[in-house]
Amino acid sequence: MILKLLIATILFPLLAGLLVLVVPKQLKWVKEVLTILVTGFGLCTAIALFNKTLMFSIPWAGFGIDFSLRLYNFSGFILLATAGFGFLIALYCTSFLKDKDYAKQFYLYYLISLAFTNGAILADNLILLLFFWEGLLGSIFGLILIGGKDAYKTAIKTFIIVGVTDLCMMIGMGITGHLAGTFTISQISLPLTPLASLAFTLLMIGAISKAGSMPFHSWIPDAAIDAPLPFMAFLPAALEKLLGIYFLARISFDLFQLTPQSWISPMLMIIGSLTILFAVMMALIQKDYKRLLSYHAISQVGYMILGIGTMVPAGMVGGLFHMINHALYKSCLFLTGGSVEKQTGSTNLEKLGGLGAKMPITFICFLVAAASISGVPPFNGFFSKELIYDGAMERGTIFYIAAVLGSFLTAASFLKLGHAAFLGPKNIENKKVKESPLPMLIPMITIAFICILFGVWNALPLNHLIQPVIGLERLEGHNFAGFHVSGFLFTMTLIVLGLALLNHLWGVKRTGSGLKAADHIHYAPGLHYMYDKAEKRVFDPYNIGLAIVTIVAHLAFGIDRAIDWIYGTLIVKTVSLFTGIVKMLQDGNYVTYIVWSLTGTGIILFLVLR
Amino acid sequence: MNNSLALLSIVFVPVIGAFLLPLAGYIHKYLRNAAAFILVSVSLLLSIKLIPQVLSGTIINVSQAMPLGFNLMLVLFLGAMMGIVFSSNLILLYLFWEITGIVSWRLIGFFRGQKDVLMADKAFLITVFGAVVMLLGFISLYAQTGSFDLAVIKEVLKNQPLSNLTVFLILAGILSKSATLPFHTWLPDAGVAPSPVTALLHAAVLVKIGVYVFARLFVATFAIAPDAHTIVTIIALASTIISAGAALIETDLKRIIAYSTVSQIGFIFLGLASGNMIGIVGGLLYILMHGIAKAGLFLCAGIVEQNTHTKDITKMGGLIRTMPWTAVSFLFCSLSVMGIPPFGGFFSKYLVFMGSIQNKDFVVTGFFLLGAFLTIIYLLRIFKLIFLGEIQILAKEGSKVMVFSVVLLAVLSLAGGIFINYPAQFAEAAALQMLGTVK
Repeated sequence: MILKLLIATILFPLLAGLLVLVVPKQLKWVKEVLTILVTGFGLCTAIALFNKTLMFSIPWAGFGIDFSLRLYNFSGFILLATAGFGFLIALYCTSFLKDKDYAKQFYLYYLISLAFTNGAILADNLILLLFFWEGLLGSIFGLILIGGKDAYKTAIKTFIIVGVTDLCMMIGMGITGHLAGTFTISQISLPLTPLASLAFTLLMIGAISKAGSMPFHSWIPDAAIDAPLPFMAFLPAALEKLLGIYFLARISFDLFQLTPQSWISPMLMIIGSLTILFAVMMALIQKDYKRLLSYHAISQVGYMILGIGTMVPAGMVGGLFHMINHALYKSCLFLTGGSVEKQTGSTNLEKLGGLGAKMPITFICFLVAAASISGVPPFNGFFSKELIYDGAMERGTIFYIAAVLGSFLTAASFLKLGHAAFLGPKNIENKKVKESPLPMLIPMITIAFICILFGVWNALPLNHLIQPVIGLERLEGHNFAGFHVSGFLFTMTLIVLGLALLNHLWGVKRTGSGLKAADHIHYAPGLHYMYDKAEKRVFDPYNIGLAIVTIVAHLAFGIDRAIDWIYGTLIVKTVSLFTGIVKMLQDGNYVTYIVWSLTGTGIILFLVLR
Repeated sequence: MNNSLALLSIVFVPVIGAFLLPLAGYIHKYLRNAAAFILVSVSLLLSIKLIPQVLSGTIINVSQAMPLGFNLMLVLFLGAMMGIVFSSNLILLYLFWEITGIVSWRLIGFFRGQKDVLMADKAFLITVFGAVVMLLGFISLYAQTGSFDLAVIKEVLKNQPLSNLTVFLILAGILSKSATLPFHTWLPDAGVAPSPVTALLHAAVLVKIGVYVFARLFVATFAIAPDAHTIVTIIALASTIISAGAALIETDLKRIIAYSTVSQIGFIFLGLASGNMIGIVGGLLYILMHGIAKAGLFLCAGIVEQNTHTKDITKMGGLIRTMPWTAVSFLFCSLSVMGIPPFGGFFSKYLVFMGSIQNKDFVVTGFFLLGAFLTIIYLLRIFKLIFLGEIQILAKEGSKVMVFSVVLLAVLSLAGGIFINYPAQFAEAAALQMLGTVK
């Protein structure tokens, strides 16, 4: 029975997606109802499967590529989370996509993404995991492509970035399987030899790229503008983070025997810290609701990678706790953004303002989620961030400073966002705006409620979801449930949040507008220059990579043309030169031929008689 | 029907039947088309009975309304192909090899324009040069073993290595036929031929003969020295990267796809030259998956070219709105060539890489990884330029038969990934047989 349910979680969304494709246009509500039913069923299944274990394997393509699935506490937990988001965002879409002509395609790709994500979570074979993982590329490409007329540029960018990192992962999996002698994930546990480190790095590239960390992040802000909004709430904010961090945790905890002493731990922490800082710096200056959120989606991954990279109990628990917390509040934030977009027709902060009174429920949900992401006690983000601070502090003060500085800027940018969108003077165009319909509010309220629940009663997620996954051995006897924050860290957090508020108030006072509250940082000497360059995408790794590729391609084309020149010109010229000479000798003159014949005869005679 | 009779029929029904086709054409045009189809079908059905090697043969039904002689050449070509596949004697193999060369000369220069003939001559001269060098190699093989029969050669060479000179002579022939660096430039130039020709012959079949003979001789019959393995790998590597780069710069649709073929052949050589089980299976699967997907790409290019009357991709755009079926098929086939799951190309690419990893050739793997990156980039580039963005040339969807063919190939690419176990079993059996005799 469990096995059938397990396969149903992969197969049903896939079949429903194909069914949506063939539903005729005249039947209006069929695709919505179908999507709700399938995702609702998925949620029920995930609840039923939670805390159960199962191993299943049948041979597939040979060479160690088996179709093997494994349900245990970690995969069950991630499965539950994706099913929850899948259902809530599907509900949201029924209202959000009501009059969009791409709705049909959206549901198709949405359901396929869900199926592939479930497959990747449950897979117990590296290649099967890659099959589902990389298979997501197609549906992501489609989801961005339908967003609008110019969305294809972003879709291509996404495809190239994610495709390239997935190929790196393919090589990493090959090396891992080669070293371990098996591709079954649950049987692999490799010591960290140089070759294994290479494999780990390649797998890590795939994992952090899926999670959206730097330097593989640059498609996310572009997709925020071009792609349909539920896509942002569904994939980059929730599912991809879950999947990427899930896999990073798997390779760090299970597949490779990492210790805090190995060089991989500092590498992860450095990637995490840099991602936190750079992305949040960019978030601070954004003037678009969705784009600002998308930079935070990048920045927050930094905390998770930093937490897992510390390899100490507090950091690891914090990293995973932050993963689920982030998925919650970030998708909630994107949904509030969608609510604003749907009702006002814009997400440009310059055109928004004073929406708090018109859309009170959206505003409250925004407040809860923004407080969570900023790490305000007692919301869920506070607890996970404190754990990460704790872990970072243990490994080096520099990492702690980076994390705290990131928190300061996060709080500052959310104060700016909330002020610009929901407070301040009302925009004339937004006079008739009213609250969003119920199908859009229910998901936001539910998620915001869970944000509070996971904060106030953090024993629930920590004792039942996170700590069992990490295991008693790695926890070293710690239990982080409840209020375990040290006095110093707590005080520092309060000071930082207070400073962020003061900074905002000072900025508002200086410029008289919520939107421009961060201008003193944006236009600070030195920073201003860097910001200009960054906005022009000078630092975009994608553009730099493409420039290198273009140079390589021109070189290669030059070599190719040179080879063709040998055939087309050199050989032809040489041959016609020789034939030309021979031709000249054959001039049709009788005397010439006689001379040739006599000379030839003479040579022969000379050779014979010599 | 017993197997030997079937085998003879596969080769000689099309070869002899081909010469009857023009006669049938005098009676009625449809009779000629139907007869051509039946002849190929006989060959195809019989082949399926023996080994499922020629999936690509089904494309023949696209060749409607072509002038006299076209069907003759196509069927003759397929017959000669079958001849090469089933020859167990080097001289016989060489004969059939040259028949394909002559036929492809005629097919490339089919429209008899000045440029067509020039390109046909180029292709012919390069491949024939290679073939003659290969014949020298065969003769030197004869000098060493005293036989042209592959089974005898295998017995004789069991205990003694083959001289590297012989290997390189034969290799020159193989490389020229399979359009690998430095003998590759004829393939992009052959794009002047009618689309079904480029699809069937130069992407799906002809270039694979070289690879097939490589597998047949160097993997199944005799072992080659490790140095030769390294050299083949390096040639394949250079071929992959350089032609992928060229594909990124070119603007002629058919030339890009041809460069892409040259580039992908490098991956096949990497798999076959790895010398281990997993790499060879990968190489064999790559032949199949790439054949299906690349034929699909060429046929899509044919539809696009026919309806827009241009081959310059910079002049196209936005065609996904008017020709959605072609666009989606093109995308599916591209994804398969890139090696994205759930398409068939994923498994073949992975297995080829795995073969290289098992040999601990990490540097080579790294460079081929670069080749795989470039594949993604140039295929997306042409997809973007043709099907996305602003509409520049209004064009309608292709005819039903043509669209059906490309959709079929796209679906086959997808099915090849989901039901990978069936082709994988065949490839595994073939590879076992090949390796079992060497070691």
